[in-house]
Amino acid sequence: MPNKLDVYLEEISHYLSGRTEREEILNEIRSHILEKAASEYGGTGDEAIDQAVLAFGPARRLAERYAEERPIIAPGYKRYLFRYTTLLFAIHLALTILGVIFKESFIVFPFLFIPRLSPLGAVMYLPMAFLADLGLVALVLYLITQSGKEVKLPWPRIGLDLDEVNPPRKPFWSLFGTAVGAIIMLAITSFSLYLFARHQTIFLYLTDGKEPRPLLTPEAGRYLSLIIIVQFAVSTLTLFVKLFTRSRWVDIISNAISLGLIGLILRQPLDNLFAINMSEKLLSWIKPTILITLIIIALIITYELIRDIIRISRRQRAL
Amino acid sequence: MIKVALDIGTLETEMNRGFLHLLVLAILENEMYGYAMVKHIESLGYKVEENTLYPLLRRLEKNGWITSRWDLSEDRPRKFYAITTEGRAIRASLFGIWEIQNSILDKVTKENLHA
Repeated sequence: MPNKLDVYLEEISHYLSGRTEREEILNEIRSHILEKAASEYGGTGDEAIDQAVLAFGPARRLAERYAEERPIIAPGYKRYLFRYTTLLFAIHLALTILGVIFKESFIVFPFLFIPRLSPLGAVMYLPMAFLADLGLVALVLYLITQSGKEVKLPWPRIGLDLDEVNPPRKPFWSLFGTAVGAIIMLAITSFSLYLFARHQTIFLYLTDGKEPRPLLTPEAGRYLSLIIIVQFAVSTLTLFVKLFTRSRWVDIISNAISLGLIGLILRQPLDNLFAINMSEKLLSWIKPTILITLIIIALIITYELIRDIIRISRRQRAL
Repeated sequence: MIKVALDIGTLETEMNRGFLHLLVLAILENEMYGYAMVKHIESLGYKVEENTLYPLLRRLEKNGWITSRWDLSEDRPRKFYAITTEGRAIRASLFGIWEIQNSILDKVTKENLHA
């Protein structure tokens, strides 16, 4: 039967696992406890050793003191834990929402897999996703800390800093740029409306200088044209409104509408979309390209949406 | 009252950290094993916990400020520690810092008395 000293050393050994000098540390402690038991408690019998072990303190606390100079995550990297987790979870959340809307699963190699989920399934899935994201970021920061190298990590600015809470005052050139953008967008929207009124679609192509011909089938062309025109109109209106206000709500509403419009575009089946003859090979390349492009745009918009909502919520708390 | 005691305890731990480094480097001018160090420090009127001393000795050794050797000639194996040349240089610097800090505190205390 092992005596108390062996049990104690075994426990310390457990807490020190992974340290190369573990055996040396255990020998030091064994030597000290035996010395103390003999000098202060009258020998190296069980009772004397029990008392010497007790005086040495709990095994976990002792092991922690050996680990003091080597934290799990360096203090300098701790601030990255929640910033990176927030970003990763925002992507996770956006993909989950898209997955629920379009009844699709997503894989972002190598660590993000969002299965095809029902709304209820998504609600159950998201807390687990958050924990997985937190764990992944913690693992990366742990590995960086343990490597002992000075790694300069990027600090993505997503508006969580209080000094970024208030929207900046726009300089003249920025306002001028917004005005020019608004005028250009107004021209594009007007031209799109003109094309739609005349051809029932804005997706046209020219052949030999003759009358433009529709690129998409009539039904798909009409449906997608209306969505794009609404998007143009929303962008135009947003730019005009931004000439007069700095409120982040303008961007939030605009981005929310854009996200909804992208959702409507993604509802359009990509089969039988084009009115012109295309080879299967070309089609098999175009379809995923369109899908990926739309998802990337949706992600960017979702990121901006979340960023602005966080900024506004921080501002509410700061006021 | 309890909070004050806790605050003092925390501050004392912080202060002891540096002091203990200096004390151990000073004591190890003469080679000594762990248990003997604890007893010697106690005889000087200061108490060091064993579970604090050994991790500290390991850190000092890792930094190259002390060295160690096992003595197996007695009934029980004992690990002896001694300061290195590098450790002496560090100790001298730490003494310098401590003297400066002490003199600053002296000056401030005198200023306060005359204020």
